[in-house]
Amino acid sequence: MRRNLLATAAVAVAALSLAACGTTEPSSDEPAAADKPAGKITLTDHTGVKVTLDGPAKKVVATEWNVIEDLVALGVAPVGVADVKGYTAWNTAAPLTGDPKDIGTRGEPSIDTVAALAPDLVVATTDLSPAVVKQLRKVAPVIEVTAADAADQIGTMNDSIDLIAKATGTETKADALKKDFEASVAEGKKALEDAGLGGAKIASADGYVQANQVSVRAYTGGSLLGAVNERLGLENAWTVKGDKDYGLATTDVEGLTGLGDVQFTYVANDADGDAFSGLAKNAVWKSLPFVKNGDVHRLPDGVWMFGGPRSMEAYIDSLVDALTKK
Amino acid sequence: MAVIENTAVGRDRTAAATTGAVAVAAGLALLVVVLAAVDITQGTADVGAAEVWHALTGTAQAGDASVVVASRLPRMIAAVLVGVALGMSGAALQAVSRNVLASPDTLAVNAGSYLSLGVIAVTGTTLPLLASSGAAFVGGLAATAVVLGLSGIGRGTVRLVLAGSALALGLNAVTEALLLLFPQRTEGLYRWGQGGVGQNGFDGVAQMAPVIGVAFAGLLLVARRVDALALGDDAARGLGVPVRGTRITTVVLATLLAAAAVTLAGPIGFVGLCAPALVRPLSRRFRGLSRSRVSLPVTGLVGAALVLGSDVLLRAVVPADLAVEVPTGVVTTVVGGVFLVVMALRTRDTAGADAPDRLRIPGRTAFLTTVVVLGVVLAGVTVGAVLLGDSKLLLGDVVNWAQGHSGRVVTYVLDTRVPRVTAALLAGAALALSGTLVQAVTRNPLAEPGVLGVSGGAGLGAVLLVTSVQAPGSWAIAAAAFGGAAVVSSIVFGLAARGGFGQNRLVLLGVGVSAATAALISLVIVLSDPFDTTRALTWLSGSTYGRTMPDVVPVALVLAVGVAAAVARRKELDLVALDEDTPKLLGLGLTRARLGFLVLAVLLGATAVAAAGTIGFVGLVAPHAARALVGRRHVRVVPVALLLGALLVGLADLAGRTVIAPAQLGAGLMTAVIGTPYFFYLLVRTRR
Repeated sequence: MRRNLLATAAVAVAALSLAACGTTEPSSDEPAAADKPAGKITLTDHTGVKVTLDGPAKKVVATEWNVIEDLVALGVAPVGVADVKGYTAWNTAAPLTGDPKDIGTRGEPSIDTVAALAPDLVVATTDLSPAVVKQLRKVAPVIEVTAADAADQIGTMNDSIDLIAKATGTETKADALKKDFEASVAEGKKALEDAGLGGAKIASADGYVQANQVSVRAYTGGSLLGAVNERLGLENAWTVKGDKDYGLATTDVEGLTGLGDVQFTYVANDADGDAFSGLAKNAVWKSLPFVKNGDVHRLPDGVWMFGGPRSMEAYIDSLVDALTKK
Repeated sequence: MAVIENTAVGRDRTAAATTGAVAVAAGLALLVVVLAAVDITQGTADVGAAEVWHALTGTAQAGDASVVVASRLPRMIAAVLVGVALGMSGAALQAVSRNVLASPDTLAVNAGSYLSLGVIAVTGTTLPLLASSGAAFVGGLAATAVVLGLSGIGRGTVRLVLAGSALALGLNAVTEALLLLFPQRTEGLYRWGQGGVGQNGFDGVAQMAPVIGVAFAGLLLVARRVDALALGDDAARGLGVPVRGTRITTVVLATLLAAAAVTLAGPIGFVGLCAPALVRPLSRRFRGLSRSRVSLPVTGLVGAALVLGSDVLLRAVVPADLAVEVPTGVVTTVVGGVFLVVMALRTRDTAGADAPDRLRIPGRTAFLTTVVVLGVVLAGVTVGAVLLGDSKLLLGDVVNWAQGHSGRVVTYVLDTRVPRVTAALLAGAALALSGTLVQAVTRNPLAEPGVLGVSGGAGLGAVLLVTSVQAPGSWAIAAAAFGGAAVVSSIVFGLAARGGFGQNRLVLLGVGVSAATAALISLVIVLSDPFDTTRALTWLSGSTYGRTMPDVVPVALVLAVGVAAAVARRKELDLVALDEDTPKLLGLGLTRARLGFLVLAVLLGATAVAAAGTIGFVGLVAPHAARALVGRRHVRVVPVALLLGALLVGLADLAGRTVIAPAQLGAGLMTAVIGTPYFFYLLVRTRR
């Protein structure tokens, strides 16, 4: 019995090996026609690495959702992106254009797939492991964008737009994007002031429910949402300290008691469930002043909290809507 | 409180013993009360001792009162309930199986619950509290049923724990894969999986308290029969105790307790293993504790003190904001691990190893056939692994690549793929050899690099380096992994050596230390990068992702040395694996030979971890399977185990790269998924 099994395995393997002869690509000795490059582009990415491109990149692969959004917003349809399904659910502000190939998860993009796409440029963030970036550099020029920096979230967002625009030759579009964002901020700020919410205290959060435990994730002043809130003239109410990259902190329901009388906004996604609706019966939650006053607002799905200018414009619109609609 | 009932046996002696037992129980109860009082004054809200006092006397502000009632009290009560349930569950399981390693953790209750919640989270259904608790409950019960069904109750205790650990590994691997594939949806699940006693109001406590109460009462009812089992099955039958029935009843009740605890607080590691180990030396001092009816509740109290103490310690040491991020389960596991190590040193090692499985001894031809066939299959898998992936290649491409004139795409693909295949094959072989050596030296089928903490130590060293240094080199990672493994294994083996490497002591130490390292790894991940669990999880799931050729040099070198040494010393290996006395009779320095083999095993395990992350299972399965195929002699076992290990990890890596391409699954997850069913097949087949 066992011997039969082993023999079958051996024969099958041999047959498969024989079927695998031949080549899928001519060897490099057969030269392909090379097209002459236009103007060379030299740029320094956020990790200080110098990258030279033969011209504005056309076939671009991106490994993280915020840089995918940047590319789409700049009018460059990426040829390969990470986690198409997740992006589609979480980022509706900048829907994917063209028909990009899925290159796997954001943490472990498949280098095989990227190599097969033969891109002119790979845009990665500093969250991607250095070993992988090193391998990607063999495949194509790679620019690394700072994933997030709690010290200056909006500056970081603009820097990544500028860098990607320079690599893809879309600087004019980038300027327009940044102008739109500023206009959106000014408009939102005015709308809030008109509604008497200038300088109002705000706490943004999202949360997770697992069995009978709730954890609340605080978007502190160092987070992108927190930074945008402050630009809108709102005051951040969180006292907890966020992490140095994303400016996020974790707390529990008890930890909300220190917030006082604030506007409480939270992000949820139908794919994920709504953590705060699970608190309806919790005595601590019910005793919070902002819950009693009805100042709890769920923002619409599909606003990516760590995205680019487009996502942030969508965030400002939905925030102003939520706060001014009484 | 413990109910003490005088029996007709030795009434005068019992009286003295009873006072001792009562004193112990009272002391423990007092400790629990003090800890509970401290616990309700701790938390993120600005509610300290004074406010709690006001709330309890009904003179507080509404906000403070609600914090105490809806957050602090449920948390404290949950901690007590969970501790009691886990402590009793572990005590009952250990009493019934006469095995100090039996516990809810090793019976896969936690793993089953964790997986069922993971599946719910991924499908995106949001269930009310009761339903998701129910799902966790069903998952835990189902896992235990599988373990018990396949290993057979009362058919050898080692088999029970083996089956349980195997299933737990497999289930956890699947859950981790889900965590990695759906990071958005499972964000909360990872934290839950570390175990925390925080509660959203009283609902959970109110629902689980009756379940725990019923199981508690049930255990007290069967306690005397359990005591009879301790005399041995035949003696118990002689006293008219239904052996099988008692076993089944006790195990079901213990599982019920453990599942209730998991439902309340997630898998809180180790309390079920540790509390009984703490009570055991006490029961030698106070004779009254030697009866289950007394020792079960006392163990429950110890469990409660452990969980509460960990929670208090955590909130006292770490600032309140951060304490939310550090799961209580991590602390119990570390505390429990340390306790277990201390206990292991204090206990006298009584039990020897089980009698070795009886195996057929196949002839020379059978051995050669096995090696040749395995070699051919391995060659085939290697070829397949190089050709298959996101982009399929053909042999001609590989020939071109080897001669250095392949086209651009093929060059890239093979440059990234070949190192991965090599890393997988070498790591698999190294782990298999490491497992073979450890199992020979300890004469213990449970022993493998993972169980003894070698993998855990290596993982901890590597994770510390990966999270603290930007872009460490491959030799640096190998060195860090080896450093961690060396520290951990010198603790384990150094402590075990003091008693001349006693069987159970070594494994007990290993289990304690490896659980503690696993918890510390989680802690490092949570503290260093709380919102990027994916990165560290990826590495821990035993992935060959992103490996380059220099990364596999360390493991290749160590493997070459290891194989040479194992072949040269094959006779000694056979003798060491035989029993305690034969080598001594033949004048072989037992301790020295063992130490040499163990050092080699640690080196192999550490470099394998550095090359391919923490891959479980291979060190356990490959030697077992090899012995089943070609008998017990190491001259035959070593080559077959090497081939099997390489084959297993090679296949796992291939599957991980192709099954859900372009997304990837770690080879470590796949070895567990592939290895678990095979392992069960082995268990069922060798039923005696």
